[in-house]
Amino acid sequence: MKKENKFLDCIKIILVEVVAFFLFLFFLKVESIWTVIVAILLVALIYFLSKIYKEKFQALLEPFSKYQNFAIGVLFILLVLYPIISPLMIVHSTYWTLILIQTGIYIMIALGLNFQLGSTGMMNLATAAFYGIGAYTAGLLALKLGWSALITIPLAGLAAAFAGLLLVIPIYKTKGHYLALVTLAFGFMLVLAADNIEIIGGPQGLKNIPPVNIFGYSFLTNIGGLHFYTNYYYLVLALLGITILVFARLFNSWVGLTSAYIRDDELAAKGCGINTNFRKLIVFVVGNFFMGVAGALYAHMIGFISPPNFQFAQSLLIVAIVIIGGMDNILGVIIASILLVVFPEKLRVVTEYRIFLYGILLVVTLILRPRGILPFGPRKYDSSILKFARKGGS
Amino acid sequence: MAEEKKTIFYTEDIEMRFGGLYALKNINIKIYENEILGMIGPNGSGKTTFFNVITGFYKPTKGRFYFMGEDLTGKEPYDITRKGISRTYQTSRLCLDLTILDNILIGTYPVQKSGYIDAIFNRKKLIKEVKKHTERAVHLLNIFNPNLVEKLFVPVGSLPHIDRRRVEICRAMIAEPKLILLDEPSAGMNADETQELMDDIEKVRKEMENVTIMIIEHDMKVISSVSERVIALNFGQVIAEGTYEEVSHDKEVIEAYLGKEVANG
Repeated sequence: MKKENKFLDCIKIILVEVVAFFLFLFFLKVESIWTVIVAILLVALIYFLSKIYKEKFQALLEPFSKYQNFAIGVLFILLVLYPIISPLMIVHSTYWTLILIQTGIYIMIALGLNFQLGSTGMMNLATAAFYGIGAYTAGLLALKLGWSALITIPLAGLAAAFAGLLLVIPIYKTKGHYLALVTLAFGFMLVLAADNIEIIGGPQGLKNIPPVNIFGYSFLTNIGGLHFYTNYYYLVLALLGITILVFARLFNSWVGLTSAYIRDDELAAKGCGINTNFRKLIVFVVGNFFMGVAGALYAHMIGFISPPNFQFAQSLLIVAIVIIGGMDNILGVIIASILLVVFPEKLRVVTEYRIFLYGILLVVTLILRPRGILPFGPRKYDSSILKFARKGGS
Repeated sequence: MAEEKKTIFYTEDIEMRFGGLYALKNINIKIYENEILGMIGPNGSGKTTFFNVITGFYKPTKGRFYFMGEDLTGKEPYDITRKGISRTYQTSRLCLDLTILDNILIGTYPVQKSGYIDAIFNRKKLIKEVKKHTERAVHLLNIFNPNLVEKLFVPVGSLPHIDRRRVEICRAMIAEPKLILLDEPSAGMNADETQELMDDIEKVRKEMENVTIMIIEHDMKVISSVSERVIALNFGQVIAEGTYEEVSHDKEVIEAYLGKEVANG
């Protein structure tokens, strides 16, 4: 009996995910304003149905929390299959693959910021600048020294982390919104500097950054007739998987707990023995590392970077992703990234109304879900802890 | 006064001045090992300021204080907590959005061993540690209110006042401190809850036999029932010290609470 239940649950998970996956592909495929409207209506319908049939909806979602690893595995397989399926369905599949890669890069940056802002309450308004530091570091190392992406990508992460360290140390002792102000200024300053330093290209930026080349396998190769973006798609998918795993593990650990305490009540955190300044410094550096890695991926893939790519508007978009997605919730951040990066592309068909619709979307989301799409839930650490607690601690 | 008692904590001429205002003046206090010490005084007499000074939230303008023979003056709050002094706050300082379990487990911070690397690469070690502390947290909750054990993953914000206080006391207890400072635990409670709270303090004492407790209270009933020794403050100065009987009949104390005329009869 129990085994059958498990089997049924797994079938449920697969069914829901496959349907969602193909709906998403269909959404990408049809280029008419109606797809957008239908999509919005569909999401609204699901939202209201979930309010009315709360229990049934809960029953549908329960297998997902029960067999979380299985659900993630199925999703991963679908994502791996995407580049193979999409050309069969979508006319401009290359374009959409590129958009999805960019979404992946944004998710990576947003997760870095989520660790700083969502988990620890540190407002960083220079995410694009740190992302840019990563991109420029990778680009320069690859262009001037001819280093492989295997070295440039981690070094780009370290460079962004180091820049964050240098920025935070002087304002170590300041409180509250000063960090937001300092990062804001830093972001503007860096774009200006990049515009004016000739060695790094000035306003022309860096051109012809070599593509990723791992052990002689160039990422410009077309595997099996698929566009070369597919290579980057898989690379980003793999690195994103690692990023998500790292942050999920950090959330379910002392690190996540300590950070949350610093965010919610810094004084109480100090009273519990936490050296809050030092902790915040580490959080900032770790978050920045992932932004730098994301920047390096972008630089290698596109091959051309220039200062306008890393302006304040980009930072603002990433802050919006974290706030709308729900502070300190990885899944929420991922959903918000898709919403804020893929959706505007889809809205291109309506040309001038695009920004208007985009704005409405954000406002409606925040009215319906003032704490973000998915605010953070209880920290469960591990299924064994949960089981132990359920049994009433025996 | 019992010479054989060991002093765990003492202050030397602590003075805390905010501009021209003396919040504390020439405070010389001893806390003996294993006792429950009460501190009373009218509003604004400097009780909470005293706690804030000895837990490092304020830096005293003059004087020093020593804990287990070590000079802790000027240390940061987190250093002092790690030495074995933990406290609760007058208005409870829990993170209301976090779960009961989280709010208690944060108290184990001074004894936590798993950092970033373990969190990512060595889950086994981390989970073992979390489990050990969770067991302890469940044990403590069972002492105060077994109903709370079922709500381990419920946000603290949904709990009634007294249960929040209990969670806060558990948080202060879980790291096995040597000295616990309770800042007006009965604040905002009705008579029944205050009674329960007094039982709770007895339970703390029973659970941790070697702990020293210092408690600030307005409620004389609480002070008279739990504390073995009482110190009275007024205008930032110690005006009386001794057993509850002695202090409550002290002329200066009555004067401080009720005014000069009453004290003179």
